[in-house]
Amino acid sequence: MTKTKHKNNWKAWLYLLPALIILAVFTVWPIINTIRIAFLCRWDNELETVVGYDYQAAMIGKEFVLGFNNFTSVVQNDQFLTCLGNTMLLTVLTVPVSTMLALLIAVALNSIKPLRKIFQTIFFLPYVTNSIAIGMVFAAMFGMIGIMPGREPISIGIINTIIEAFGGTRINWIDQGSSYWANIMVMFIYIVWNALPFKILVLLGGLQGVNKQYYDAAKVDGASRWRTFWRITVPLLSPMIAYVVITGFIGGFKEYSSIVGIFGDDMGPVGKEGALNTMVGFIYEFIDHNQGKASAAALILFAIIFAVTMINLYVSKKKVHY
Amino acid sequence: MKVVLEHLTKIFPSRDKKEGGEVIAVNDFNLEIPDGKLIGLLGPSGCGKSTTLFMISGLQAPSGGKIYFGEDDVTELSPENRGIGLVFQNYALYPHMTVRQNILFPLQNLKGENKLTKEEMLKRADEAARLVQIGEYMNRKPSELSGGQQQRVAIARALVKMPRVLLLDEPLSNLDARLRLQTREEIRRIQRDTKITTIFVTHDQEEAMSISDFIVVMKLGVIMQTGKPQWVYDDPANLFVAKFLGTPPINVFTGRVEAEKLYIGEECVLDVKGAADQEVFVGIRPEGFILSKEGRMSCAVSGIDVMGRDISVVSSNPASVNTVIRSIISADEMGNISGSTAKFDLKPHKVFLFNKETEERVRFGEQIAAHEKMVAEMKAEGQFYSTHEGPLPREQDDKVREEKPAEEKKGVFAKVKGLFKKKPAQPAPSEEEGAEENTDTEGKKNA
Amino acid sequence: MTNNSEMFSMMLASSSSDHTVAFCVILALIVALSGVLLFFVVRGKLQKPSVESAKKAPAKSVMKETAAASGSSGANSIKSVETKQKFSKILVSIVIYLFLTVIAVAVLFPFYWMLISSVKSVEEYNATIPTLWPHEFVWSNYITAFTGDLNLGRLFLNTVIVGVVSTILSLVITVLSAYAFARLEFKGKNILFAFMLATMMIPGELFTITNYLTVTSFDWIYLPAANPSVWQKISPFFSLIIPFLVSVFYIYLLRQNFMQIPNELYLAAKVDGTSDLKYLWKVMIPLSAPTLISITILKMMGAWNSYIWPKLVADDDLHRLVTVGLRGASFQIAGTNMVNYPAQMAAVVIVTIPLLLVFMFFRKYIMRGVSRSGIKG
Repeated sequence: MTKTKHKNNWKAWLYLLPALIILAVFTVWPIINTIRIAFLCRWDNELETVVGYDYQAAMIGKEFVLGFNNFTSVVQNDQFLTCLGNTMLLTVLTVPVSTMLALLIAVALNSIKPLRKIFQTIFFLPYVTNSIAIGMVFAAMFGMIGIMPGREPISIGIINTIIEAFGGTRINWIDQGSSYWANIMVMFIYIVWNALPFKILVLLGGLQGVNKQYYDAAKVDGASRWRTFWRITVPLLSPMIAYVVITGFIGGFKEYSSIVGIFGDDMGPVGKEGALNTMVGFIYEFIDHNQGKASAAALILFAIIFAVTMINLYVSKKKVHY
Repeated sequence: MKVVLEHLTKIFPSRDKKEGGEVIAVNDFNLEIPDGKLIGLLGPSGCGKSTTLFMISGLQAPSGGKIYFGEDDVTELSPENRGIGLVFQNYALYPHMTVRQNILFPLQNLKGENKLTKEEMLKRADEAARLVQIGEYMNRKPSELSGGQQQRVAIARALVKMPRVLLLDEPLSNLDARLRLQTREEIRRIQRDTKITTIFVTHDQEEAMSISDFIVVMKLGVIMQTGKPQWVYDDPANLFVAKFLGTPPINVFTGRVEAEKLYIGEECVLDVKGAADQEVFVGIRPEGFILSKEGRMSCAVSGIDVMGRDISVVSSNPASVNTVIRSIISADEMGNISGSTAKFDLKPHKVFLFNKETEERVRFGEQIAAHEKMVAEMKAEGQFYSTHEGPLPREQDDKVREEKPAEEKKGVFAKVKGLFKKKPAQPAPSEEEGAEENTDTEGKKNA
Repeated sequence: MTNNSEMFSMMLASSSSDHTVAFCVILALIVALSGVLLFFVVRGKLQKPSVESAKKAPAKSVMKETAAASGSSGANSIKSVETKQKFSKILVSIVIYLFLTVIAVAVLFPFYWMLISSVKSVEEYNATIPTLWPHEFVWSNYITAFTGDLNLGRLFLNTVIVGVVSTILSLVITVLSAYAFARLEFKGKNILFAFMLATMMIPGELFTITNYLTVTSFDWIYLPAANPSVWQKISPFFSLIIPFLVSVFYIYLLRQNFMQIPNELYLAAKVDGTSDLKYLWKVMIPLSAPTLISITILKMMGAWNSYIWPKLVADDDLHRLVTVGLRGASFQIAGTNMVNYPAQMAAVVIVTIPLLLVFMFFRKYIMRGVSRSGIKG
């Protein structure tokens, strides 16, 4: 018996070896190293300022010292507040709306029989797409062609055409000269569109796990649909709702590629590059020349996500019925 | 409130789409349930008793027939408009609400002129809680209660709206044996106190017999017999009812009637005056045996269980349909067993004959007069008595049922309504229905 | 496509007032929806007086009286309640289907727009008012997409290489690790497993920075060269593949799956003298096939959709992956500063179609995997 156990012992480590090596190099080491370099900086004689850790400089033997400089310089960076603001704004706007909408859709789906599979498949489609590619489609839908100051654009795009058909006025959504709120609106629509499938899937799964007898009981008890929804469905589904809200917040704070999809690497309309940059985008700006600063920003992002998740968990602990 | 079921029928489409055909869960069900009584719907699982109950509640739409509450035709009414209380088999207490909130919930749903003030609601809830004696648990969640307590909360929730009819689906099946006994007395008491017409479903004949004013024995969606429990026990209309009622179960033998004498095997065991010559099944209640040295029926004894005052003799006989014969006799008579053979005389009123082909009762001797007296008495009391007429449903018929076109006259609505009736493929609807696209979400630990 | 829809689309496309017709239809739909919704809301206020309420349930206590008191009510009130019931049922189902249809249209519209835009001529695409159905189908956009500066063929090849290799390696590693955690006993197993699970909580961005430094120091990043060496040609694929080979979540998922396989099977196999590896291959893997398929598909989709990391480490002509290439390509019409949007949309279609095809065939597995993980790719 002991013999087999012993035999299994080294065998187990053998099986785990590839995973452990890769985890050590690409997961464990990065955690340690990112924290380390976030606190490393040096005085640069040429720039006459403190600069963060940077790989090239380290290779040529520059010395770094411990300090909080990276953090302070991140926070003092003009872009930082823009990025943080954009990230928070998009998250706060999209998570409640997409959750609510997904909940309505899931409840509606759960209450029908014919065509349910078809609708379910359609609603899942945005998930299996490339968020950059479809972002380009959204850009094509919202964008105008041939926009120049003081001249009628060649084409105002399909969305504006629809708006005008309903008697509205066209809006410069994403092109040169467009307003910040128009940009945010487009991002909002695209992110919600993108976020729905997963939420619908989880919530519908949760709904189908709810014992049908509760609904029968509610029916016998004379509860209206509205009351059944708020008093039965939402509480019974609250663990799932908490789950999609928490993952939604985490995902929201990591928003990046949907903006690249619509605005390209410039992270903003022509002329206002970086206007829609997010925290992740901020990190990537520094990744190839100032890893210290990038690490500090990443740690700040992690701290924010962690804090928001804790708040979420705290709130859901009070509200969620398990 | 009197409840009348007229030609009530429920046909479920077959689960197997390719094969076609359908399952008739309830077949032309006619029943008049008198006001203020406790009625047990009794039958083996799959006999359509729960379906009947759900049709009365309005949660399932009948394929045909009518349901009346008093004079009102409620067939098309949805449950909330019927004024019923329903206690589910597993209680279906809302797990996220406290006991008080659970009981209040139906009251909070009242609208218009029925709307109650907060104080009235609380008063009514307290009253209902007191009635079922759960007053002290009002602030607990259902998960913090025992099965029996949950059961009472469910009853309180069903009663608080003051229903016209109370429906209970297998109310005792989730309780342990001791609680079951206690709770069934409780149900009896509550029903007597409130005088609400109560219909409950059970597969446990002992349970039904012990508390019902009337029982309805069902098989394969058809009523086999109705009546007061003791009468149904003493005068079963057919072999199925005889076999279904009684513990230990009735002993069944094959036999024949020749010249008003009953033969089991080669032994002439009883005089059966008034019975025509025929092949029969002979049902003998365990208490219908008298141990006697000169007994006319002999059985090979294989064991004796002493149960205190009584003893149970386990024996066998070549003509027995069951593998063993159980007879319960007074312990005083034990001495009459000589060697390995027991000789019995039979009590005529505990012996029931059934035609071998139809399995219908063949009465003889005093049974004929007793039966007539019983029916007359029932009619005089204004109570109902009915037995199944026409050929009895058989198990083997189950597979080759006639294919009636489903009378889904409500077509679209019935389909759209989907929320409350999912895939009703099995005769007895169970809670695992629906949820076919089971997108399980268990592994969300990475949150 | 049926005749009807063709006629409808012709109608939309042919006359100059075509779009007005289409928008009138949409307008009518939306107006109808809001009207029905409004009515629904109003009806909710007038809500049904129930049969009991018609009778006025006794307000006072004592339940004894109540049941006895319930007499018969007029047939009229029942009829009216019945009608209302039926009415509300129809209404509710209409509202539900309308709602779902509107959402479905909103979800599908970008796909539709992508498809029709990809076959329009540049002139038609740039028309002042966009057409809902192309006048003529310009399939050559797809050729332009393949032959333009995008070099789609190369991008596809790179992506497929990365996808296939990383999926296979990842599956092997995941299976071995999950097997060790599920079936074998060794010291520190639980601590190690808990530690691995804990790493899942850390956002990927935190790893990216150091990983970028790591692959740089491994010389896995391609530096443009006139005559790239074999190493230079191959090594960027390492940085695309290796850092993401281990997914703790998939190990967890598969381990759970393995643990559900009854121990008796293992003991029976032992009695028959089956080796561990053979048991793994012959019993556990077939029994866990659905999970493995889910992992495979999600992994492949991940390679197809990955953007940030490939952009960082392999944004060069030899190693670029499809999403990076798609976003980076300018699609400019030669000699102008105009963008050839139809060609761009054609490229988007080409990138999207494989995903949709995979989805159509493996819908069940994808949805199951996703609902468990919440991870895109």
